[in-house]
Amino acid sequence: MEKTMVKKRSVLTPTLIAIVGFLTVCPIVMLVFGSFSTGLGAFGEFTLDKYILGYTDPELGGIIVNTIIFVLGSSMVATGLALFLAYLNTRTDIPFKFLFRIISIIPMMIPHILFSVSWVLLLNPSNGLINLFLRQIPGFEDLAINIYSLPGMILVEGLLDLPIAYLILAPAMASFDIALEESSKVCGGTTLRTLFRVTLPVLRPAILAAFILSLVRSLASFAVPSVIGMPGRIYVLATHIYQSIATGFAADFGKAAAIGMSVLATSITLIYIYRYLTSEGEKYVTISSRGYRPTVIELKGAKYPLFSVVGILSMILIVLPVLVLFYTSLVPYSMIPSAKAFSMMSWKHWIEVVNDPISLLSLKNSVFLGVVGATLGVMLSVFVAYVIVKIRSHASGILESLSFLSFSFPGIVIGVGFMWFFVRTPLYATIWALLIGYIATYLPYGVRPLASAFVQVHSHLEESSQVCGAGSFTTMRRIVIPLLIPGIVSGWILMATMFVRELTLSVVLSRPGTEVLAVQIFRFAEDGLWGQLSALGIMMIFISTALVLLATLVGMKFKPVEEGE
Amino acid sequence: MKRLLIVLSALILAPSAFAADSGLAKKAKAEGQVSFYANMTAIQPIMDVFNTQTGLKGKYTRISTSKFLPTVLTEFQAGKLMADVLQAPLPVMQMLKAKGVLAPYTSPAAASYPAWTRKDNQIQTFGIEYVGLIYNKELVKPNDVPKRYEDLTDPKWKNKIVMANPGAHATTISWLVGLKENVFKSETEWMQFLKGLAANRPMLVKSFGPTPAPVESGEKHIAISMPKYIITKAPAPLDWARVEQPLMGTPRGIAISSSAKNPNAAKLFVDFWLTKPAMGKLSTEVGEYVLAPGVFPPIDGMAKAEVIPIRTLSEKEIGSYGAMFKKIFELP
Repeated sequence: MEKTMVKKRSVLTPTLIAIVGFLTVCPIVMLVFGSFSTGLGAFGEFTLDKYILGYTDPELGGIIVNTIIFVLGSSMVATGLALFLAYLNTRTDIPFKFLFRIISIIPMMIPHILFSVSWVLLLNPSNGLINLFLRQIPGFEDLAINIYSLPGMILVEGLLDLPIAYLILAPAMASFDIALEESSKVCGGTTLRTLFRVTLPVLRPAILAAFILSLVRSLASFAVPSVIGMPGRIYVLATHIYQSIATGFAADFGKAAAIGMSVLATSITLIYIYRYLTSEGEKYVTISSRGYRPTVIELKGAKYPLFSVVGILSMILIVLPVLVLFYTSLVPYSMIPSAKAFSMMSWKHWIEVVNDPISLLSLKNSVFLGVVGATLGVMLSVFVAYVIVKIRSHASGILESLSFLSFSFPGIVIGVGFMWFFVRTPLYATIWALLIGYIATYLPYGVRPLASAFVQVHSHLEESSQVCGAGSFTTMRRIVIPLLIPGIVSGWILMATMFVRELTLSVVLSRPGTEVLAVQIFRFAEDGLWGQLSALGIMMIFISTALVLLATLVGMKFKPVEEGE
Repeated sequence: MKRLLIVLSALILAPSAFAADSGLAKKAKAEGQVSFYANMTAIQPIMDVFNTQTGLKGKYTRISTSKFLPTVLTEFQAGKLMADVLQAPLPVMQMLKAKGVLAPYTSPAAASYPAWTRKDNQIQTFGIEYVGLIYNKELVKPNDVPKRYEDLTDPKWKNKIVMANPGAHATTISWLVGLKENVFKSETEWMQFLKGLAANRPMLVKSFGPTPAPVESGEKHIAISMPKYIITKAPAPLDWARVEQPLMGTPRGIAISSSAKNPNAAKLFVDFWLTKPAMGKLSTEVGEYVLAPGVFPPIDGMAKAEVIPIRTLSEKEIGSYGAMFKKIFELP
């Protein structure tokens, strides 16, 4: 029995390395070739010039400092807020949980460029709406909170990465073992002490996973650094790469790839650090064969004050920018709210978007990619996460790094890597190229929540099943997967909402017939048509909300045991 | 309704100069379709009219300027260039020509265009991506509107200007160099202008796309941008400064691909594209400055404006001027 298991596992790891490697290594290999080649393509005469030029820039030092502050700051904001919201939503009796759950995920549903523009309208120092409001308060007449600053960038990027952190932390919290907390309380620990001494330490893998995923994402992020950083003259690696290739009409993506390699190396190092820090996996197991039932903590007197805090935070940080988007979609051009603005409101931008000839096709393609892509992506992620967590060999470390390859590369470059690869295959300019590219790039969105969930499932459960005569796949299907439902739902939501709004690969790989919503976004953004862009953004929120509801309902149907929600 | 509009547009365009050679039209019809790569906006209405008028299926792919060359060259080198016709800024078209991507074709429809638009038998220049000063007419008093480019250096504009990044945005770099070569009398005057502009701490954004929004909303008062936004952003309170000096911009070119799968349909498309009615549609609907004689964007005063093409700068020149502007504008 044990031998069969080992044999199956030993086949599984190389198979997955082959699949994931094929998906993620090919574009990176093309970019590596491009970075060592003269000219603008993937292949040319060997040169080191692109590395020498890229890494001898005297400004690089300052840019790296900015980048470190930006990525650490935004990851802390994202993880901190996500912890707070996930704890309240999954472990306490705070009211309107479902609403907060959706609010936590909303930034994932909006094109990041749009969310950033919305914050510029709220907090630009000249006439940002929050600034205008605060200036009416006596003593604050000259107030000018400046979004075009590092703290501004950190705030907005942190909010954009919040759903990633939330969707990794929430399932881990939802499957927490009551026994650990009860033991603490029996020993005289207060709720707060239990939280800090037991709950959070046990959740360390999930917290680290959320933090590292946010780090990697903010390293690759371009929307916030370009919309908020550039006007403030604050450059981070992503905008530095853009600036270094965009000076001129012949954008050299090989040079961009050369600089991007350092981002990739950083990300891979972070993943190894994460593996090291969570290497004693058994410590974090919270679902063993007995007593698995997450509990709800009664907030009692703190219930409504905490509800108000969360409500106000959600209102300012997430609902307000979305309202600004809705407002922008109704006014004829970018204008400050006034009697004139309200008198000029109409559905013009919405009608234009709906009547756009490519819209219906884009909508169809994007929903297809969202649903099918996320389903296939999550299926692959289940196996990858299983190997990463349960096998923990040297090979599984390789697999984990491979799953992050495309994801870690700066967005503006990876699309070109895929183009260089797909053009050599019959898949070029088909919807399948987009599907494969999406899954390959955003695989960590499926793998991370599932890995966090796997960490907490004790191997005794699988072993018991196999002792009873079930094969590996039966054990996976009957025992492991039902326990992973919260992780599967999170992974599916992250992937589906990402695929519906995906921009980076789409603008490079989309052709007539394979247009996706991002193509429309790109067109409107390039032309500065924020009204249409906002209308489309709100539509995307509706589509993604429908997908989130679908996933949550399906997840609830398959829930193995009553959860504490 | 939309179909009706397309048919009506086609009827209006029908008696135009687009009297295609029947032999060419027949061969094009046999090919059935044409693929068009462009970096321009709002081309679909023109494609729709082309489709209705010719019975061909015109497919349009928009590719941003920064990705145009890498995309086309990648496809071309892999033998998979999907475009039959290509449209891009002239410097990009010239680089494509140097790589052998373009085929010779002189369209009869271009006969009435100025001679300088046909410098070779491959690229036909049909428009200028014109740059000007656009301002918020609710915030800028008529007397304050700049009359010369130098007026932008007045300290009254401090923190009120928005422009594309002069250290990286190729069109803006070319425009600033164009000022030196076409507008200012001496290098000293030009340098004074640059330093004065930099001292006013303009807000710098990625490209022209994000320049009009801060002016519309009143976050900034004036932009170095494209006057076409007065059309595309209507009814925003935008107007352009009628400076005494000429307006300048990068020429836009169109050509046929040397590996076109539908070469006849491609020629028919270029012929159609260059007709006065098709150019008129581009001009009227998206405010483009086109070179078809007598066709002007419906922007007050633009028909009388002097709009000149900027010299094509080499990549090396753009790089070195970009580095120089980075220093002047104190960019990292």
